[in-house]
Amino acid sequence: MGKRFRIFMILGLALCVGGFFASANAAGLVDPATGMKITEIHIGDAGAFTGDAASPCMEIFHSAQIALDEWNAKGGIHGVKLKHIMGDDAMDPAQAVNVARKFVADKLMFGVIGPPMSSIAQATMGIYASGNLACITTAVSKPSLTEQGYKNFFRLCARNDSHGWNCALFIKNYLKAKKVAVLNERDAYCVNMAKETIKGLKKLGIKDILHETIVAGAKDYSSVLTKVRVYNPDVLFFVATTAPDQAIGVRQAKELGIKATFLGTEGAKDVKDFIEASQGAAEGAYVYHFAPDIYAIPAAANYVKKYESKYGTISGFGPTAYEAMNILLAAINRAAADGKITRKEVIQELHKTKNYHGILGFPVTFNKKGDLEGGATYFFKVVGKKFKQVAVMTGK
Amino acid sequence: MIQGLILPGQDMHLFLLELPQQLVNGLTLGGVYALIAIGYTMVYGILGMLNFAHGEIYMIGGFTGWWVLHLLSRNHQVFMNSAAVIFLMIILAMIVSSFVGVLTERFAYRPLRNAPRINLLLSALGVSIFLRNFVLNYQGAKARTFYVSSLIPKGLQIIHVGPVVISFMRILVIILTFLMMGLLTLMIKRTKAGKAMRATAQDLEMATFLGIDVDRIIVMVFIIGSALGGAAGVLVGLLFTQVDYYVGFQAGLKGFTAAVLGGIGSIPGAMLGGVLLGLCESLAVIFLPSEYKDVVTFVILVIVLIVKPTGLLGEKVPEKV
Repeated sequence: MGKRFRIFMILGLALCVGGFFASANAAGLVDPATGMKITEIHIGDAGAFTGDAASPCMEIFHSAQIALDEWNAKGGIHGVKLKHIMGDDAMDPAQAVNVARKFVADKLMFGVIGPPMSSIAQATMGIYASGNLACITTAVSKPSLTEQGYKNFFRLCARNDSHGWNCALFIKNYLKAKKVAVLNERDAYCVNMAKETIKGLKKLGIKDILHETIVAGAKDYSSVLTKVRVYNPDVLFFVATTAPDQAIGVRQAKELGIKATFLGTEGAKDVKDFIEASQGAAEGAYVYHFAPDIYAIPAAANYVKKYESKYGTISGFGPTAYEAMNILLAAINRAAADGKITRKEVIQELHKTKNYHGILGFPVTFNKKGDLEGGATYFFKVVGKKFKQVAVMTGK
Repeated sequence: MIQGLILPGQDMHLFLLELPQQLVNGLTLGGVYALIAIGYTMVYGILGMLNFAHGEIYMIGGFTGWWVLHLLSRNHQVFMNSAAVIFLMIILAMIVSSFVGVLTERFAYRPLRNAPRINLLLSALGVSIFLRNFVLNYQGAKARTFYVSSLIPKGLQIIHVGPVVISFMRILVIILTFLMMGLLTLMIKRTKAGKAMRATAQDLEMATFLGIDVDRIIVMVFIIGSALGGAAGVLVGLLFTQVDYYVGFQAGLKGFTAAVLGGIGSIPGAMLGGVLLGLCESLAVIFLPSEYKDVVTFVILVIVLIVKPTGLLGEKVPEKV
C-alpha cells in the first residue's frame, strides 16, 4: 500500500514539474478579451478553391502559405506557431457566408486573406466586421466595398474606379481606339468595372461605345458577338470574371471574324485556362492586371524561386497574396509584442501600415478606408504562351 | 425607352447585316435545344412526368465526349482520324447517357410508377441534384476544354458565305442534329417499336391489354431520349469547346421550355419548339440589348401558352374515362 502510494506521489510530482516546464517553454500569448491562452495563431484564407476560379485562388493560397512558412521557420510569432486555414466558397456567396461564420467563430483566428471576389466580399464583409476579423483582400476591386465604413477590410489592389479609368486611358492612348465595344457579365465586379471604364472613355471623348451584357457560363456568346461584329469596333473589352469564359469569348470573336483588339480582365491572365484554352485565338490579345510582372522585380526573386520550384509559373494573383500575408503577420506581430493580442488590436496595427516595402515593387500604404494608396494598372499582351507586360497606367 | 433598343427602319442596314449570321447562330442553338427537348417530351408523353434529371444526362454526355477526345489526343492533337474521333465521341456519349438514363428510370422512377405524379417529380429533382454533385465530386468544378482545333484542317475551319461566317463545327452540328431528328421521326412513324411507343403514350393501360410490354417501351423511351441528350452534350462541347458540371442546369431549362413551347408530349412539337427558341434568342439580340434575350424567349412562351395552352403542336388529349 505504502509503496504504491509513494509511486503515485512521485508520478504526480513529475507531472507537476513537467507541466510547469512545459508552460514556461511556450511563450504565453493571451487574448485579454476572452482570457484565452493562444496556443496557435490561425490565419484564414477565403476563396473559390474549387470551380472556374480555382487556379488563381490556389495560387493565392500557395503564395500566402510560403509567407506563413517563412514566419514559422523564424519561430512563429511570440513563440506561437502559425496555421493557414483554407475556406472554400466555390464562388458561391451562400457558401462564403458559412466560411465567414466558421472563421469568425474560430477563437484562434486573427486575420483572413481574401476573399478575392467582389460578390463574395459583398456577401461576407459584414460577418467579418461583426467578429472584428481583419481581412486583406488581394483582388477585390469594387469601389463601394471600402465605402461602407467597415474598419476591418483592407485591399492590396487598386479599385475599379482606378482600373476603369486606367483601362480607358490604355484603350485611348495605347490601343488608339475610336470605337469601343464593352461586354460585361452580370455580377458585382464586372458590372462595376464596365461602368467605370465607360465613364472613363466618355471623359476621354470616345462616344462610340456599344455596351452589352453576357451571361457567365453560357458557353455561347455568338449572338451578342455577332452584334459586335456588325458594330465593328476597334477594341472589344470583354469583362468577365474567369479565364475559361474569356477563352470562349476570344475564340468565338475570332471565329466570327471580329477584327477588334481583344482586351480581357485580370481573371484572364492565366496561361492554361486562357491562352491554351483559346486554342490560338488569344494571340495578340491584351489583359489588364492589378499586379506588375513579378519576374522583373529583384526583391521578389526569392519568392518566385520558392513558388516555381513547387507549383509552376506564376500568373499574377500570387505575389499580392504573399505580400498580404506578410503585412498581416507583421501587424499581428506588432499586436502581440506585449504578450497580449486581440482581433481589434490587429486591425489597429494594420491601419498603421505605411510604406511597406515588400516584393510588389511599390510601397504599400493603406488609407483610412483600408484602400491601397496610389493604385496602378498593368497591361499585358499575349505573345505565344506568355503574357508580356506592355504598359503601366497610373491615372495619367 | 430601353437603352440600346434598335427599331426596324431606324437602323435597317445594321439589321440586314446582322440577320443572316444570327439565323445561323439561332439554327445551331435551336437544333441543340430540340435534341434536349425531345428527351423531355418523350418521357412526358408516356409517363406524364417532367424528367428534371434530363439536363444532367446532357451534361454527362458532354463529359463522356470530353474524355474520349482527351484519351485519343496527346498534347491537344488527336492521333486518330478526326471523323472517327468525332463519331466515337458521339456514340460513346450516347451509350453512357442512355445507360445513366435507364438506371435512373429503373431505380428512381419505376418504383414510383403508381405513386402520385408529384412524387415522381421530386424523385427527378433528387436525381438531378445527385448526378450534378456526383460529377462535381469526381470530375471537379473546373470547366474542361475540348481541344478541337486539331480535329479540322486549318483551311476548313471557317467558311465565308457572303456576309455570313460559319465554322465547320457549326455546319456539322446543324447537319447532325437535323439528321438525328429525321431518323427519330422515321423510327416513330414507320417501325413497330415506334407504333408501340405511340400506343403507350396514348393510353398506357390499353397498350398493356393489347400485349405491348410497357416496361420495355418505357426503357426504350429513356434510352432514345437520353442518347439524344448525350449527343447534344457532345455537339455543344465540340462547338463551344467547354463543359463543366453545371451546364446541365441551363440546358435543361432551355430544353424544357422548348418542349413546352412546342407542346409537351409531341415529338415534332419539341423539334419545332427547340428551333424556334434558338432563333428567337438569337434574333432578339438584333433589336434589344442582349440582357433582354431570355426575357423575349419567355414572353413568347407565355403568349403561346395563353393563345394555345397545349403548345404549338400539342394536342388536347380527350379525358380518359
